[in-house]
Amino acid sequence: MDAFSFWVAGVMVYVAVAVLVLGLAWRLYQWRRLAASPMRLGIFPKPRGGAKALRIVADTLVFPQAAEVNAPLWLAVFLFHLALLGVFVGHLRLLGRFPEFLEVKMSESAHLAGGTMGIVLVVTLFYFLIRRFKSPSKELSVPEDYLLLILLLGVVVMGDHLRLFAEIPFSAYRQYVASLLALRPEFGPEIAASPYKTALVVHVLLANLLFIYLPFSKLVHFIGAFLTNGIRRS
Amino acid sequence: MADEFKVDLSLDLRGLACPLPVVRVGKSIKDVPVGGIVEAIATDPGALADFPAWAKTTGHEILKTERNGADIKFYIRRVK
Amino acid sequence: MKGELKEWQEKLLGVMKGRRNRQLLYYLELCTRCGLCKDACHIYRATGRVEFVPSHRAEILRRLYRRYFSPLGRLIPSLYEARELDERALEDLYEAAYTCTGCRRCMVYCPFGIDITWLLGVEKAMLVAAGKVPEELAMLTDAAIEKGNSIDLYRDLLQEQIKGLEPELRERTGMPGASIPIGRKGARVLYVALAGAHSILPAAIIFNLAGEDWTLSMFESSNYGYFLGDTEKAARVAERIVSEAKALGVEEVVITECGHAYRVMKHLDEVWSKQKFPFRVSSIFEPFARYLKEGRIKVDPDRIAERVTYHDPCQLGRNGGIFEEPRAIIRAIARDFREMNPNREKNWCCGGGGGLVAQPDLEEFRAVTGRLKAEQIAATGAKIVATPCENCRLQLDLLNQRYHLGIQVSAVTDLLVQAAVVEKGQKKAAALG
Repeated sequence: MDAFSFWVAGVMVYVAVAVLVLGLAWRLYQWRRLAASPMRLGIFPKPRGGAKALRIVADTLVFPQAAEVNAPLWLAVFLFHLALLGVFVGHLRLLGRFPEFLEVKMSESAHLAGGTMGIVLVVTLFYFLIRRFKSPSKELSVPEDYLLLILLLGVVVMGDHLRLFAEIPFSAYRQYVASLLALRPEFGPEIAASPYKTALVVHVLLANLLFIYLPFSKLVHFIGAFLTNGIRRS
Repeated sequence: MADEFKVDLSLDLRGLACPLPVVRVGKSIKDVPVGGIVEAIATDPGALADFPAWAKTTGHEILKTERNGADIKFYIRRVK
Repeated sequence: MKGELKEWQEKLLGVMKGRRNRQLLYYLELCTRCGLCKDACHIYRATGRVEFVPSHRAEILRRLYRRYFSPLGRLIPSLYEARELDERALEDLYEAAYTCTGCRRCMVYCPFGIDITWLLGVEKAMLVAAGKVPEELAMLTDAAIEKGNSIDLYRDLLQEQIKGLEPELRERTGMPGASIPIGRKGARVLYVALAGAHSILPAAIIFNLAGEDWTLSMFESSNYGYFLGDTEKAARVAERIVSEAKALGVEEVVITECGHAYRVMKHLDEVWSKQKFPFRVSSIFEPFARYLKEGRIKVDPDRIAERVTYHDPCQLGRNGGIFEEPRAIIRAIARDFREMNPNREKNWCCGGGGGLVAQPDLEEFRAVTGRLKAEQIAATGAKIVATPCENCRLQLDLLNQRYHLGIQVSAVTDLLVQAAVVEKGQKKAAALG
């Protein structure tokens, strides 16, 4: 590994993951240490028991009401998150082998599914970004909103670049992640020799930055949404 | 009737439900000079107790309350 | 940074700090400014003005919070457009907090269920501390508290007012013994009306026809302290009724057709005043629906021939939980009932809530922002719009004039009285009045 790769795709990854984990823990602590107001803020009608739990999950994952008031935005947001989930699951393969049946299926569909999801992410992120340049989203937005979208776009574009063009075998990526896990980060010969190595390092760099900022940004809604949607149904 | 007062502003608040009579008087009383008198006619019986309570908190003075059938007439002096 | 703060700024930031709780932090930190709420808001939809986007109303508080309380916001204020608490910010807070009807329709549609009014509640608390509040709301709140403090001064005036209604009550019920008791100890029900005959007489007719063991409250149910956002005063206004109910030993406090009054008594005041009521709070429809079910009042289902629609007051419906009881009553007395679309928790706000109706300066604003409601009513083809909230009725009357809807706006109880069958000794139809 060259020095730049070592610092960015090695050392910085550990820092980013540590900040991510500790940051999220700190953020959760900040929320939970404040007393909850005894005021029940829920909207009526209030579902009970199993229906309530189901509703909270549906509100958080599908937010069907939003589709009624702004269908295009709802569709984009829904597809974006779906693709994000898909990409996240896809990246889990880097950590180790899935059960054999899944491993085979995923391996077969990786190029098509990963590519599709990557494109969905780019398109929806562009849409989110462009709409923020138009009133009234423009006046509503603060620099954080643009920063996060641009950062996400960067991560995704570099990821797509690797997914669609780089001829690096999957085993090489897996080897790299394994080396990270073993605390001895290094690139195998396929990556080291590939012209796409820089793209990979930039992809990892932007992802690191995203991980570092995430716990302190509005992106914590990926946890918080369950909590606030719980309040709405109680 | 009550000719003993020189009325600066007369408000017909008949048919209005509470709290609108009080709101209208509260707004309009600023249109008369301090010491001036507003005459307000309301039909809402709630006004009977609401006007005195309002006058007490705002510091204005209800000089007289007259009743004539459904009409309730207040003479209010702007104090400040 | 702290050293540079003026005394009034310290005070207002103290209010903000004191209002911090878990919900507030979620609502401050999770909003992604996606703007979906704008599409759910009748005010934004009717005006297209960005300052009326629900999340934008809260964004002012969020930017102040970033500036003074969040670590990253203090470090890099420009990232959040964090702003100083200055005169201009106060102006913006005022505009944001006191032009919202508090309908919470945006909360239904927000992907995170963020309660904008919870944030506006903090904005209002800061404005209350700054003394920058709508004059009318403050005036009405103070007058209500004064009435509670010096009730002995006003008791006779109230008695006089109520006694004046009894001849009509006897005529319309055909019951020579019909009465409107006030302050009767040991009554089962304490009915809390609005200050006005229109809210007392029709309910008295039904209570008498049903043979209810009831008494009338000396206080009006409306609570301008709530709209003002001064929870301390709002609790004092509500406490008048709570003390009265306790002193009389009633089982059930029945709130008249008034949206926010029901919500305050049913859902808010026990938290504000840190107590558990020794009585049940119900909306007027709960006993009325019981009377119908138990046959204690009889109705003629053919007496109301015109098409009726029902407007869910936001504070009674999505924020209060009363959806079906009023509908059951209307269905029992009107042959042609047509729902608005959407309805119940998704119903459009009429534009009159939040104390806006009590502010004459906002009349034009209300006329403009009621557009969606007016269109919704027109689409039903109804001639009668029944709604159990005084603010809604006043607003719908305004919309009726401005949009030439040709409707009659009515309280549900008025329709019930119109349809009630007066039996046996009860000579005349209750309807004629």
